[in-house]
Amino acid sequence: MEQNLQYFLIPFLSWEMMMLIWVGVFAGIWVGAIPGLSVTMAASLLISFTFSWDLNSALALICGVFVGGVYGGSITAILLNIPGAPAAIATGIEGYPLAQRGEAGKAIGLCTTVSVFASFVGILVLSVAAPVIANFSLKFSPRDFFLLAVMGILLIGSIGGGDPIKGITAGAIGVLLSMVGMDPSTGELRYTFGNIYLMAGISFVTAMIGLFGVSEALTQFRNTGKKSPKQNLDRIIPSWATFLKYLPLSIRSSLLGVFIGALPGTGGDVAALLAYDQAKRTVRHPSRPFGTGAYEGIVAPETANKGAIGGAFIPMLTLGIPGDAVTAIIIGALYIHGLKPGPMLMIETPHLFWMIVSCLTIASVALMVLGLVSVKPFAKIIEIPKEIIMPVVIILSVIGTYAIQNSVVDIFYMIGFGIIGYFLRLYGYATGPMVLGLILGPMLDANYRRAMQGAENQLLPFLEGFITNPISLFLTLSIVFLIVSQSPFYRRWRGLE
Amino acid sequence: MEESRELQAEGAAAEAAGTVKDLSKYVPEARRKPGELGIAVIMFLLGALGYYFALDMTSGEYSSPSVFPKLASTVIMACSAVNFFKAVRREKPESAATLTGYLLPMDVVVVVILLVTYCFVLPRFHFVASSYAFMVIGMVYLQRGKNIVRALLISALSLAVLVAVFRYLFLVILP
Repeated sequence: MEQNLQYFLIPFLSWEMMMLIWVGVFAGIWVGAIPGLSVTMAASLLISFTFSWDLNSALALICGVFVGGVYGGSITAILLNIPGAPAAIATGIEGYPLAQRGEAGKAIGLCTTVSVFASFVGILVLSVAAPVIANFSLKFSPRDFFLLAVMGILLIGSIGGGDPIKGITAGAIGVLLSMVGMDPSTGELRYTFGNIYLMAGISFVTAMIGLFGVSEALTQFRNTGKKSPKQNLDRIIPSWATFLKYLPLSIRSSLLGVFIGALPGTGGDVAALLAYDQAKRTVRHPSRPFGTGAYEGIVAPETANKGAIGGAFIPMLTLGIPGDAVTAIIIGALYIHGLKPGPMLMIETPHLFWMIVSCLTIASVALMVLGLVSVKPFAKIIEIPKEIIMPVVIILSVIGTYAIQNSVVDIFYMIGFGIIGYFLRLYGYATGPMVLGLILGPMLDANYRRAMQGAENQLLPFLEGFITNPISLFLTLSIVFLIVSQSPFYRRWRGLE
Repeated sequence: MEESRELQAEGAAAEAAGTVKDLSKYVPEARRKPGELGIAVIMFLLGALGYYFALDMTSGEYSSPSVFPKLASTVIMACSAVNFFKAVRREKPESAATLTGYLLPMDVVVVVILLVTYCFVLPRFHFVASSYAFMVIGMVYLQRGKNIVRALLISALSLAVLVAVFRYLFLVILP
């Protein structure tokens, strides 16, 4: 115990590590805020230039960027309705209406506070329950991941923003587009029409930048000359009473985030969407109706995606299995520095586990300070006339898209998606479900087919698994509950209507 | 509770001012928009094409690569048919509203043309020159020819910051 505490204190006693964590958080916030520039990309760039560094310093910087980057994605979602990352899509649904009401400062302030709280929840669970959760997450079969993706698809009703049938149409188009490219399990080409650029598939980040960034800019150009709302920046830091009001929801969503984050292959994006959906279903008296700027709709996804940071480290540190793309890169960094991530990592190098916990703790404190200091300058961005800010946003979208795989073709895709998104918006088809379909399509397809192959392509054994396996049964019942809870009968019974 | 009532009242005011649309309850619009039937037909055709091309994929087993493409295509076709009939049942668009006027106001057309041109010239003139031209022309046009010097300066400053931060600080390769 005393030994662990000593390991935990290493970063606190090293000014160099401390400084690197703060620099990482600062850089992460700005990188995360730009659509297309992802935390994953920043972490992989850092690996290359921290190659010759001491491992402790490299990890300090990467942990800082990770925490700051996940937070940064929400800033542009709130201010401009352009999420910096898929994990911030749900935040934009409630955050942007708040910015339109002049409450961007208050929204970002609350977002920062609950984000820091959720980071601590994730870190706490990582420190005390990592081995238990890691072993449990390994019991998830392809059938369970398929069910998890089905749960995600059911969110279309929540983020559709209007007509549910139009939401389902957009979601199905997203799933169809996600099928483009080489099938990862058989190598068969689907919808490529002999075009080599389509063989790698359509990047959902490219689609997201187009569907949210460019289409938002084009939609804004329909109303040029309209003045941007003046932002009220008097009360940025939420009161203690406000924090306590949202505490139960924060705890619930953070824990959901930790758990989803700990599942290999899922991450903050799925966690945030699931948390937003559960908040929409369970919060009886939101500050405003959902979809119009409910603060609960910011608290739930933000706490879930920050909780997922701690969660993603759980399988990585205990089993050597990455929880998400960033932890996969960190595993790479550990290999580069001569370590062997796996079940023996915590036994052979316990200092590493406690040092990562410590780096994440310091990064969360830095996030609180840097996040709150940045609220005023960030909120002022929205007051810039759109005739000036939107051309700059388009250039940022171009930089972000090109950075994904250094391809000009991706910029064409991005603009194509932007124009499609603009037309869809005009006819009431929300763009969120399309991105959701693009994200979840491969997860649905791959896990369904693996589960079916596991059942030797027999329908009955495949369906039997849904009730005979305890995890599958729990997820199946959750899906049934999600469907039932959308019915008007249930909502009237629970007093949600 | 008091705070909640205050927020509800603010919400109603913002709604009335037209700054925020209430999406909490879906209320179908009385009139259909120009081209709404057309977009439902286009989506139906997209679904039909998706299904048609999925027929070329390996099928025959429950785990075949064609299962989800066919499923997604079928959902698109079914939903588009519902969207079409829902739109038919609504009143016709106002006679003054034209399809091109609704879809493509002049500002949007100009920006889309600028954007497509920008993409084509980007590989030839590279990031700095193409982006500077895009920003200056875009800003000057959208401000109706006013503040040309301000547009030149803001574009130069924004671009300098973007290049410094992304190219030199974050080591991002620019187009």
